[in-house]
Amino acid sequence: MPRTPADQYVSKVRKPEDIDRFWDDVLAETAQIPLEPEVVYDPLRSTALIDVYEVFFTSLDHVRIAGWYAVPRQREGPLPGLIQVPGYNMEPPVPKNWAARGYAAFSVAPRGKLRSNRQFNPGYPGLLTYGMVDRNTYSYRGFYMDACRAVDFLLGREEVNGERIGVTGHSQGGGLTVSTAALRPEIKAAAAGAPYLCGYMDSIELTDAYPYQEIADYLRLYPDSRQQVEDTLAYFDGINLAHRITCPIIISVGLQDSTCPPETGFATFDAIASDDKKMYAYDGHGHDANNHEHAAVVDAFMAAHLKD
Amino acid sequence: MTTLTDVKPSDFDSYWHDVLAELARFPVAPEVQDLPLRSTDFATAYGVRLTSLGPYRLYGYLSIPTGDGPFPARYHLPRYGSVTDLVPQGQANGQRRDHVTFAICVRGQRLADQPYAAAFPGQLTDGIDDPATYVYRGIVADCVRGLQYLAARPEVDATRIAAIGNDLALTTAALCPQVTHLVTTPTLLYATAELAPRTSAYPLEEINDYLRSHPTRRDAVQNTLSHFDLRWFGSRVSAATLLMAGADGAALDAAALQPLIDDIRGETTVHKAEHSGYRDGRYAEEWLAERFGMAEPSLPPHWQD
Repeated sequence: MPRTPADQYVSKVRKPEDIDRFWDDVLAETAQIPLEPEVVYDPLRSTALIDVYEVFFTSLDHVRIAGWYAVPRQREGPLPGLIQVPGYNMEPPVPKNWAARGYAAFSVAPRGKLRSNRQFNPGYPGLLTYGMVDRNTYSYRGFYMDACRAVDFLLGREEVNGERIGVTGHSQGGGLTVSTAALRPEIKAAAAGAPYLCGYMDSIELTDAYPYQEIADYLRLYPDSRQQVEDTLAYFDGINLAHRITCPIIISVGLQDSTCPPETGFATFDAIASDDKKMYAYDGHGHDANNHEHAAVVDAFMAAHLKD
Repeated sequence: MTTLTDVKPSDFDSYWHDVLAELARFPVAPEVQDLPLRSTDFATAYGVRLTSLGPYRLYGYLSIPTGDGPFPARYHLPRYGSVTDLVPQGQANGQRRDHVTFAICVRGQRLADQPYAAAFPGQLTDGIDDPATYVYRGIVADCVRGLQYLAARPEVDATRIAAIGNDLALTTAALCPQVTHLVTTPTLLYATAELAPRTSAYPLEEINDYLRSHPTRRDAVQNTLSHFDLRWFGSRVSAATLLMAGADGAALDAAALQPLIDDIRGETTVHKAEHSGYRDGRYAEEWLAERFGMAEPSLPPHWQD
């Protein structure tokens, strides 16, 4: 049977009535924890033009989180801040490329990533299903907060214009872009590529590829937990958080993406509350979502909203 | 101007002969554990621990199809980073229906990070001052060891063993005659010393970072990298090869890779990247299915017509 065109797919995800209260409580709990930032200059990764720092701060559950912070040496006045959020099985990059374009760029390593895994390390595969039977134990409860706390780090930097902070990422970074923009109103521009963590339960029916296959694996072994899993994931689904996004946002998808099905990207886009939103759907592309060309679109979008 | 890396090191062959001889002195000593969480009705998954150079214990994900073999095998070599997936992200899990698959975690990666946990960035320059200490000496040996284990499995059809990945797929095919098919995307180990200064993108930026901090070690670094340069491995590859080249104009486009292409002894197909994970990935799947004599390529739903 031919598939429904991606932009006509109807998500089966249902939104919990108390989703906003749940996240407001998590945000409040996180805010009670002192950030305790530690910023260490890294001469090995710094250049004549870019200063690079290794950063550590404290997040939800008092987990210590790492990140790379890169800023241009030559600057006049406060810089726009840009948060780069990582893919599922990649290591957060040193964001020198963004610093070279005039941003105070922070690349966060949420819990479980290398350098942030001393207190929490479910592994890969593993992170996607860890604690999935309860919204209060699910791995992404803290993981989302770690990305959100990157905002707090930038807000505390005197060289950063706190009124001009953006967030961007691809795949899981796309999903974290959606969640961070939804949960932190300080975000003024968001660019999500091939967003993951959107339409979790839809995705295990739309694709047999990993990482979503981790959920299918789990339900095959623990079929009796299906309802609990669905209930939990509904609180974390980007489709269900999108109504909180009010900043300008762009989303890109590849129409042949087998990792993060484009159907879920469209469903997320449709649910975004912001009037200033745009979808870039690339036919003939998979999980790359035409990043080779779309990167210039993201550059221009961030410059327009954070620099002009 | 001729640089150190333009010529094959005089001790290249003896270096790798010695590595393989040293590896052979360590028994594989496999420990195989069922992985019910990753098993399906069409394939059983196992976690495998085995010994490599050092001795050093590695980890791998093995999947065996349900039913009677032997089956063609896909040996998935790791990309640069801490994570190895059971099936590479985005590829069809359905490939496990009719292929033995084996994905190796090399030293420094998760599940093979005791006692050595690699840093990323960092691993690409670990021990780089000397070919004898460079971490890739062990990593290349790890990949060889994994292939030796896979090829010895009774479920594997010895006439259809594919090494699939980036640089490490090619070095494995060069050092292991059991590899019959090769799908390789040169990425980091081709003319590394020449290409690194032309980019500021990681992982190659690690080389630039290192030489900026240690400028007097440039010759030593170039000498080490020349022992791992894919150009000097090509003549050892007899597998049928699909070489995934960069798009025209890219640092590693087909023109840049021509010396390697010329040296590979197996039937070689060159595919120029189309900057599309879908188009490039589908091409590779169709190439492999045709060479393996499979009725259909293993495609995830969104890659199918």
